[in-house]
Amino acid sequence: MRLGFNFTLGDTYDMAQRLIGEGHIDYCEFLIDNFFCVDPDELAKAFDCPVGLHIMYSKFLEADRPTLVDFAARLRDYIDALNPIYVSDHILRFSHEGRAFFHLGEIDYSAEYESVRDKVVQWQEMVGQRIHFENYPSIMDGGLEAPAFFERLMKETGAGVLFDASNAVCANRNCGTPFEAWRNVIAKAQHFHVAGYRQSLIEPFISLDTHAEALAPDTLAFLQNFRSVFDKSGATMTYERDDQIEFDDIVVDLKALRDLFGQPEETRHDLALTA
Amino acid sequence: MTLLSLPSRTDRDLYPALMSPQLNAKYPADHKAFVRIDVSLRIYWHTLFDICPELLELSGPDGMSIFRPFMAWAEEKKLAFDWSYYLWVYVWLRQSPFKERLLADDKYLRSIMAASAARWAILDRGRSRGIVIGCADTTDLVIGWKCRNVRLGREIELIEPEEPLPAPPDLFGYFTLPSFELDIFPGWQSLAR
Ligand SMILES: [Fe+2]
Ligand SMILES: [Fe+2]
Repeated sequence: MRLGFNFTLGDTYDMAQRLIGEGHIDYCEFLIDNFFCVDPDELAKAFDCPVGLHIMYSKFLEADRPTLVDFAARLRDYIDALNPIYVSDHILRFSHEGRAFFHLGEIDYSAEYESVRDKVVQWQEMVGQRIHFENYPSIMDGGLEAPAFFERLMKETGAGVLFDASNAVCANRNCGTPFEAWRNVIAKAQHFHVAGYRQSLIEPFISLDTHAEALAPDTLAFLQNFRSVFDKSGATMTYERDDQIEFDDIVVDLKALRDLFGQPEETRHDLALTA
Repeated sequence: MTLLSLPSRTDRDLYPALMSPQLNAKYPADHKAFVRIDVSLRIYWHTLFDICPELLELSGPDGMSIFRPFMAWAEEKKLAFDWSYYLWVYVWLRQSPFKERLLADDKYLRSIMAASAARWAILDRGRSRGIVIGCADTTDLVIGWKCRNVRLGREIELIEPEEPLPAPPDLFGYFTLPSFELDIFPGWQSLAR
């Protein structure tokens, strides 16, 4: 399992460099549409490591076609310049009746399957690339339908799933989606996310995907129990941290992930060649 | 009202309430639908007061005397809650009982214009590099620049032009910049709702 760190804006640049330099991570995940005004070749030189590209605001389920075609054209320049390990996006709702959510919404997996499937097919065509779609940290009981939805989506569109393990932990805590229900999705997924979560301020408590805390014991237990389903050749796991960004705390979590998965094969292979 | 009369199986069932304190109040407080909506509403609150904390001087520490009536007004006007979120708060404040105190100190307006410029710079995915925001209450301009370098974030500039631009026809106006240079004035665009 290769480990990575999410790079969302310049203020964590030095820290990401240090994580790479000290061998805590093997690649960086760019929140790519935050960098659409940075020259692709300059971005390609930013880190001396492989990169993944994570899309935040394509809004491909909601945006009109000309907007998406233009977004895809710009994204393509970065794909060509950075040659990423993967390109990922979200199955999310950004607005309702033209009014923006500040806490993004989960779709209705059964009622919206067909329309989402068609948009996924179109979006992959526009980008000219297989895209890995991330699962939502479900709160409401509709989240019970997420695993079957993603399994079917992969089968019928050729898309991948960027499986966020701690989002699945939140869903498990909030609406009881069993970890076991994700087994096939995890087995087919190559790319993963993991992060801390916290509880809501008021009761009945729900768990929120906040990216601001240490990895929770149940998240680590989930990874441990499904270790062999997660780990595979070419697999990546991005540690996401967007708040309370403390180098030492992040390294503690990254070390826990290294202990769990071991050194990635790719690195061992490189070491063997240079030894 | 009991929960049975309100669908709450999926997140989608709650969409209309996610930006509505009034609708939130219709859900029983001991149900997770209430908490989920509360989580959403808190983000609207924090997006406003964490970025413009001086507004709490007007409202009192919980912000509710601004937040609740503003959100209700925004619902009536069907505001899109795009990057101009903060500017609309100012529009509301200006016709509220807070008007006099608001206009007595231009720090409120500066903070609000900077917040909207920053939000545009973070969220806009069009090809423009920067946005210039102007207001009829000041000749100062605020510019938001998108991230232009891998080591930087977005940047916000306050400009006090020697020769002021004409005032926007509405309270606020804006224009966007195709390069990282303030070298054009194509005229003011009005805020979309
Ligand atoms: Fe994500
Ligand atoms: Fe994630």
